[in-house]
Amino acid sequence: MKTDVLIIGGGPAGLSAAIETASRGLDVTIVDETSKLGGQLNQQTQEMRPLPSVYEPMRGFELANKLIEQIKDFNVRPLLKHRVVGFYADGSAGITDEENVFPIKAKKIIVASGAAEKAVAFPKWTMPGIMTIGAAQTLINRDFVLPGREAVIVGSSDFAMETAMQLMAVGTRVKAIIEKQSEASAKEQEKVSELLRNGIPFYFNSFIKEARGNGQVEQIDIEMPDEVITLNVDLICMDGGRMPILDVFYQLGCSFGFQEELGGWVPQYSNTFQTDREDVFIAGNAAGISTQGALLLTGMIAGISVSEELQTISPAEANEMREALWKELGLLEYKEVYSGRVKHLENFTSPVLKDQFIS
Amino acid sequence: METNYETIVIGGGVVGSGIAYHLSERYKEGVLVLDKKYPMSGTSGSTQAWVWVHNKTPSWYAEFSMYSAELYPYLSKKIGDVEYKRTGGLSPFFNESDREKAQKLAESYRKIGIKIKVLSREEVLEKEPYMNPEVAGATYSSIDGNVNPFRLIDMYMRAAKRNGVRYSAYNKVTEIKKQDGTYLVVSDKGAFKCKNLILAGGTWSREIGDMIGVKIPVNQLRGQILVSEPLKPFLNFTISGLRQANNGEVLMGYSMEEAGFNRATTLDVIQETANMAVRYVPGLRKAKIVRAFSGIRAMPEDGFPILGKVPGHESLYVAATHSGVTLSPLIGTLITELITEGETSIPIERYSLSRFG
Repeated sequence: MKTDVLIIGGGPAGLSAAIETASRGLDVTIVDETSKLGGQLNQQTQEMRPLPSVYEPMRGFELANKLIEQIKDFNVRPLLKHRVVGFYADGSAGITDEENVFPIKAKKIIVASGAAEKAVAFPKWTMPGIMTIGAAQTLINRDFVLPGREAVIVGSSDFAMETAMQLMAVGTRVKAIIEKQSEASAKEQEKVSELLRNGIPFYFNSFIKEARGNGQVEQIDIEMPDEVITLNVDLICMDGGRMPILDVFYQLGCSFGFQEELGGWVPQYSNTFQTDREDVFIAGNAAGISTQGALLLTGMIAGISVSEELQTISPAEANEMREALWKELGLLEYKEVYSGRVKHLENFTSPVLKDQFIS
Repeated sequence: METNYETIVIGGGVVGSGIAYHLSERYKEGVLVLDKKYPMSGTSGSTQAWVWVHNKTPSWYAEFSMYSAELYPYLSKKIGDVEYKRTGGLSPFFNESDREKAQKLAESYRKIGIKIKVLSREEVLEKEPYMNPEVAGATYSSIDGNVNPFRLIDMYMRAAKRNGVRYSAYNKVTEIKKQDGTYLVVSDKGAFKCKNLILAGGTWSREIGDMIGVKIPVNQLRGQILVSEPLKPFLNFTISGLRQANNGEVLMGYSMEEAGFNRATTLDVIQETANMAVRYVPGLRKAKIVRAFSGIRAMPEDGFPILGKVPGHESLYVAATHSGVTLSPLIGTLITELITEGETSIPIERYSLSRFG
């Protein structure tokens, strides 16, 4: 199979890249391992903000549907329940439908593989009833399954705060937020205030010492600064942060740089979101963990750059659009993340450190 | 860290560590092993690790390999369990027309004392019941086997260190100078002096030789290997192309490509390898593949080991070879003899670097 643009990952970044490329007449193929485009947006019931100026504020799953709606008018071939499993010597991607493997030869590849949640380990952390916040959110919003009745949340990021509220909305009692630092890590403090207003205690400088239970979690010990308390819970949602999914970039032989603010090891890329392989572009959380609005912008920039390379827009036009989108990214993205991104770009285009690349 | 040594070995892979260990048994003067990364991070850690004799040609090379394989049980006694298993080796063929070739191979090996049997279809299936029933036959040799390469090199290193050998890892050699009868080896972590210098740089031999003006014609050859999920033990032999490891994983692959130092895996070779494996053992069709990896093998230009003194350079030795796992106990023994006694118990002139002119 041949295509102009192969997009790996059909989440928000992949879809916005698809819109940018397909709307300019390119033939686009999206590969996604799940059964529905939209990625993690599908289980986000909270309002997504801020979004790029071309989008009205809306809730996550609505945004997914909107993006899916937009690609329908164009020449986009979604391959759902398909995975990229490697690359052939001639550069073709090997795609599997879990039965056969077939090659797709693309002129350009945009990798928007997203991010994976990290777990927080403590004794007996593998017991049923203990899961990441993303898993809990998927159960509530996508599968309509109540993951537990009495919960604690480990971690206090924005994502954790939203999940706590969503759990409460479906009737789960959130007994505590446990945070090992001395304050909540959520950037939007109003979410923290809202939980406090609802009477949810925050245990700072604390962590789970041990979980106990017969066949599933029933009780936990929380180590606090001066005491250990015991709570009865049947659900622990843990938030260990997220990290970019890099497998495909390793297989493509891309170079990497370490950037704490972007989630650790991240493929290197320039301001066109081109990696060190000239046929490979990057977008979304894979290019650095960020918020939904920013992810859309990175997908748009990558899509515009690919359109430019395939000569469906002029370099001048592309530059102008990219500049505007970068400006918007600077406004929309958390400051630390944006400055980490800028540093990451500089490290690539004008390396200061020797031997910083792994590959 | 001490900067003066009697002997420095450049390269801590299976060949370099094998030499360092064997030297340390005989010889209490200082030995230092320098490794660009860490032993096992390169070729030695990305191999099926067969200890393989049969169907190496010509027969004198097979004989050389046999002597090394014979040393393995003794080596295990000295340095510890390296999971060496003399399983016997099977090389199946699927066309009756290959039988004659196999007979000829067996014939030529008989003269040098390596016993190879040419098995009938029934005999193969009796030995290896999961082999494809379409098999026509196989050559079989009882001396072949395999080893756990990680344990092997780790045990070499431990034993060598116990005997006083120093290792310096993540320490790339950048320059070699000869001055007043000694070698000065400049590395990322400092300069070291030695009397004897042994070049065991494997795939990097050419680059290391260049530092001292010696042409060591070793090229890189990529091999890709597939690893299955752990399966119940069902393969008894080391089969040319695949083997089952102690933990139940089946290692498959016998590919060779020229790809320089690029350690990527490619789906073309992965699919060919999977087809080969399924042709040999159809049951593998149901197995899950958990990963694929590639290793860069060292391949001397004519395919045979390069061993011994470097002509025209006093106290400079080279050991660069394909099949390092099979040959390491013998190479370690011979280079030790060469350094301590000036001659070897079995002739190695054939393997001299001088053959390349």
